[in-house]
Amino acid sequence: MNAVAREPWREPPIGLLAELTHRCPLACPYCSNPLELAARERELSTASWLRVLDQAAELGVLQLHLSGGEPTLRTDLEAIVARARALELYSNLITAGVGVSERRLEALAEAGLDHVQLSVQDVDPEGCDRIGGFKGSLRRKIAFARAVRRLGLPLTLNAVVHRHNLDRLERFVELALELGADRLEVAHVQYYGWALANRAALMPTRAQLERSVEIVKEARERLGDQLLIDFVVPDYYATHPKPCTSGWGRAVIVVAPDGRVLPCHAAHVIPGLVFANVEEKPLRWIWQESPAFQRFRGLEWMQEPCRSCPRREIDFGGCRCQAMQLLGDPEATDPACTLSPHHARIMATAEAEASAPPPPFRYRRMEPVPA
Amino acid sequence: MSFARDDRLAIARGVRVRFDPVRNCHVLLAPERVLFPCPTSVEILGRLAEPRPFGELVAGLAAEFDAPEEEIARDVEALLSDLVAQRVVRVEGRSA
Repeated sequence: MNAVAREPWREPPIGLLAELTHRCPLACPYCSNPLELAARERELSTASWLRVLDQAAELGVLQLHLSGGEPTLRTDLEAIVARARALELYSNLITAGVGVSERRLEALAEAGLDHVQLSVQDVDPEGCDRIGGFKGSLRRKIAFARAVRRLGLPLTLNAVVHRHNLDRLERFVELALELGADRLEVAHVQYYGWALANRAALMPTRAQLERSVEIVKEARERLGDQLLIDFVVPDYYATHPKPCTSGWGRAVIVVAPDGRVLPCHAAHVIPGLVFANVEEKPLRWIWQESPAFQRFRGLEWMQEPCRSCPRREIDFGGCRCQAMQLLGDPEATDPACTLSPHHARIMATAEAEASAPPPPFRYRRMEPVPA
Repeated sequence: MSFARDDRLAIARGVRVRFDPVRNCHVLLAPERVLFPCPTSVEILGRLAEPRPFGELVAGLAAEFDAPEEEIARDVEALLSDLVAQRVVRVEGRSA
């Protein structure tokens, strides 16, 4: 831990990612939740979440992402949305859309929900069931999407893509149009936690990646502003790393189901960081002064080649969690960067995985993780 | 992009504009986006909460700022084109 006392961070966060629960009906092998999931008994109470929202608005948060797990499993979601609306926070529901009735959705819309982001695992019903580990999922998702549009709520389809569904990317675009979605997010898997454990099963080949870039480009040109398409490329095949969460502790604040506050939903992989809990500390102190948030702010922690790199304030050395996971050193240059001395070795491993037959999925489950 | 007098304009679905006392400015909130609109955009967006014909928008602004309609129309058209391209404003009947 950096022992040097530092000035509190004065810039306010833009977004709060509220992971309301780790419970989820799906079991996607690329889930962004930690391998060690928080049980229901450890979840924050309604009163605590409402207090967190009050503190977040006061701190300058503008957007609230209601996520999980599956956030609609919280029966107090309407109360949380209503508080967000009262505080003028822009609320975004991130859902799998498999167990949400139209009546429930209507209640959420009435409470002031601003936007719905629906995950679609695959446009092929069997593929969708296989990836999510849930029978009949696609049919339910489509019904859910239609209900969202009937209520007049804006809709984003979120398509996480990988080697098993990339060959159907054109049909994701068609589905988004057919459902009247406003946005389509095509997001290549980011390899953390469960996804890293399943990397060999998910990593696309370079040819698949290149094809996906072409499909998105063509669709954007053809559709213009009829459908906004956001595209997240897999950083293993990139030249420069992604500026993870727009820089550590700069834009995003994550509150886990048990109340721990993280600069990024994967930050728990970095050993030695102590994440303060909203039950014990005010959000303002956690954001501005807590050692975990201060840890990778500024540029002092950087090593070479980051320290003298002209891009050091563009991508901030890439992702600290990825450097930790792949190199065991959270201060190292993200190996997704071509300037990292480890880039070639890591890429070779990933490409070898992508061209070998895929191993079975290790599904995301709530039970203890085997060693 | 040019607009006809009876083109009906409105703020796009899922877009909200509000004043942020922490940053002391207006913010525009949309799915996965936060923008900091200029005062003129804030003025225009405030008038497009309900669909409104382009001609009426221009006439309203011309009266408010005591300027010729042609001049206002020219300035507003450029700004509106940007807002439409950014999917912040939609034109009814056109896609998006």
